[in-house]
Amino acid sequence: MKPNIPIYITAACQISIQEPLCDKWMSEPRLGLSGYNEAIDPVFKEWMSPGEARRLGKIMKRAVVTSAECMKASGITMPDAIITATGLGCVKNTELFLTDLCTQGESLLKPTQFMQSTHNTISSLIAILNKCHGYNVTYAQGDMSADVALLDAVTQLSLGDIKTALVGAHDEMTPNYYTLLNRSGYYGHESMVSSGEVAVSFMLSSNADREALCLIDDIAVFYKPATESLRAYLTTISNVDCILAGYNGKPENDMLYDNIISLRDNPDTPVLQYKNLFGESMTASALGLYAAVRIISTGNFHNSMYRSGSVPANINSVLIINASGNDISLMKLSKVSL
Amino acid sequence: MHEDPIVITGYGILSALGNDHDTTLSALTNGISGIGAIRHLATSHTEFPVGEVKMTNEEMESALSLPADSVTTRTALMGMIALDRAVSMAHLTRESGSQNGIAFISGTTVGGMDRSEQHYLDFLAGEDFKQYISTHDCGACSEMIASRHDILNFVATPSTACSSAANAIILGARMLLSGQSDIVVAGGSECITKFHLNGFNTLMILDREQCRPFDRDRAGLNLGEGAAYLVMERQSHAAKRGVTPIVELAGWGNACDAFHQTASSDDGEGAYLAMKQAVERACINPANVGYINAHGTGTPNNDISETHAMQRLFGDNVPPVSSTKSSTGHTTSASGAIESVITIMAITNNFLPANIGFHTPIDGGMSPVSTPKLNTRVDYALCNSFGFGGNDSSLLFKRIKFQ
Repeated sequence: MKPNIPIYITAACQISIQEPLCDKWMSEPRLGLSGYNEAIDPVFKEWMSPGEARRLGKIMKRAVVTSAECMKASGITMPDAIITATGLGCVKNTELFLTDLCTQGESLLKPTQFMQSTHNTISSLIAILNKCHGYNVTYAQGDMSADVALLDAVTQLSLGDIKTALVGAHDEMTPNYYTLLNRSGYYGHESMVSSGEVAVSFMLSSNADREALCLIDDIAVFYKPATESLRAYLTTISNVDCILAGYNGKPENDMLYDNIISLRDNPDTPVLQYKNLFGESMTASALGLYAAVRIISTGNFHNSMYRSGSVPANINSVLIINASGNDISLMKLSKVSL
Repeated sequence: MHEDPIVITGYGILSALGNDHDTTLSALTNGISGIGAIRHLATSHTEFPVGEVKMTNEEMESALSLPADSVTTRTALMGMIALDRAVSMAHLTRESGSQNGIAFISGTTVGGMDRSEQHYLDFLAGEDFKQYISTHDCGACSEMIASRHDILNFVATPSTACSSAANAIILGARMLLSGQSDIVVAGGSECITKFHLNGFNTLMILDREQCRPFDRDRAGLNLGEGAAYLVMERQSHAAKRGVTPIVELAGWGNACDAFHQTASSDDGEGAYLAMKQAVERACINPANVGYINAHGTGTPNNDISETHAMQRLFGDNVPPVSSTKSSTGHTTSASGAIESVITIMAITNNFLPANIGFHTPIDGGMSPVSTPKLNTRVDYALCNSFGFGGNDSSLLFKRIKFQ
């Protein structure tokens, strides 16, 4: 959908397998990562008490940090909505509870593991810490989780139901779950990028903001789209300076992107990738959005992201493509010109 | 009052009350509870009564005519049955959403946990049962259900624990208002698993007897399972398709209690805000609300908190209330949709469903409808769904004017 009013991204913060809470990935990224990799965590005690740091799982701590930094950077301390995406939820606690259940049976199980295993624990925690009574929802839509969360936020901003939304995307990966996802074929292809862990927060706002990082001009999420309707939609967003796509080195995945890009009426648009730096995970597309926001607001990106075509000196608009199985999402960002 | 309101043009429901519309309605008007001893779940906790769907996975696979080697989960199977019913009742075909398509929004939290808890050690050990690894996540569950009908062009999965399905309906409403979809099929599906039966047990919120929502001596909830979906579209779109609206979705609210991960605040702030938003969106006075299908889990904490929230909004005139979890069990992520369908049945069939098991009011509380009240007209009814983490939502349904 094309929002009927300008919708801004006013802050974006990340913790990932790259250096956290900074843009070092643009100049000196960690390169050549493969297999299983955990996120690089900041020093959590700068954001929370030692008790909290002990009590909360990593996925929760990371969410606390990126949310807090995002609220600080945007100056919005009480967003109208908190919308969270997570593909797999709190994997670590789920795994602990499940392991106990499967090995020691249905007794002596731990309530805290169960309490911190539910997907919406993350979004609720951010609301509890900030006493935020506004709209609060979590989406778990596989590789489209972040895209659906952003679609909800943009829809509500566009309808005027809210003015600001804190949108987060959070996934953690454990060695055991990585093994499982190798068996299922999600990970494990020899030419594939690293696994990833994701903690990204964005502040979206419909208040006019000269300082904003970029505008969201379009967002659409499709399930099994007919080729012709996808082609028609792509025509409405063909005028962009570059494409940022979720190539991950797995042939059947990369083919999806090649096919979508081939439907565009402007086949020479340069193409960049981001999963070579940030890894693959169900909410990796949120790191794609993060990278696109930074590329537009700073004009920089790392050479390793370059995939095809020649990139213009000024990148004023980016089309972000996320594709997986039957699902495709398209998002167009542009530079703020007030 | 909206000039082109969102209307419901079909629904499907599957719960402990029955496998189809007529059995469900008959159980509700006769005050029959579907809660009983555990039959399907392989748990050692047989002391807890539950509201199971009265079909095995194999019976559901056969009813759905699925091939013998299908890789499914119980949540997906129940969802498919409820979706089939909704699609058929609303006469949906691919042409029904000719301009912007038909969206499917299905809440779940359990997802494919029923298979994961059976096979987790197998998953870790080797290749056996590995086809179930990718059915674990919530999104995969919704896509499995969606794959049943080749008419859907959008899938989303809200996962806000026990309010997931209500939030699916709220996102659906906004997809319609923003013109992104012509039709939305929204609701949720959730089977009982050992994972959350044991989880709720560690939190000590399961009753060993039939649950007693809003009773002074209530001692917890009974888990239930099931699935339900509503077919939603703008009134003008329904008219163009030539289908008859059943009820209107007049309002909705979503607020966060922002109090505790598993407990509700004493003043029910989140619940109060959610109901208030729903009533305000419909531009009516609280006094117009004729019935509340309460969240009413039967836990000491929820029922007092929800009572306070209702008293804050309605003062001394709290409308008739019942928790139908006393007959379905707490169907967790599906409850918002299952209870929406029950609320819709109440409006269209002129009765108030019963809050079974109630004897004595909470001090300062209210007395819910304890037996089915027939021949009672309701124009506006609220349906509450509150989740862990204080994810509180409320939906407001309205009788269609010409009825």
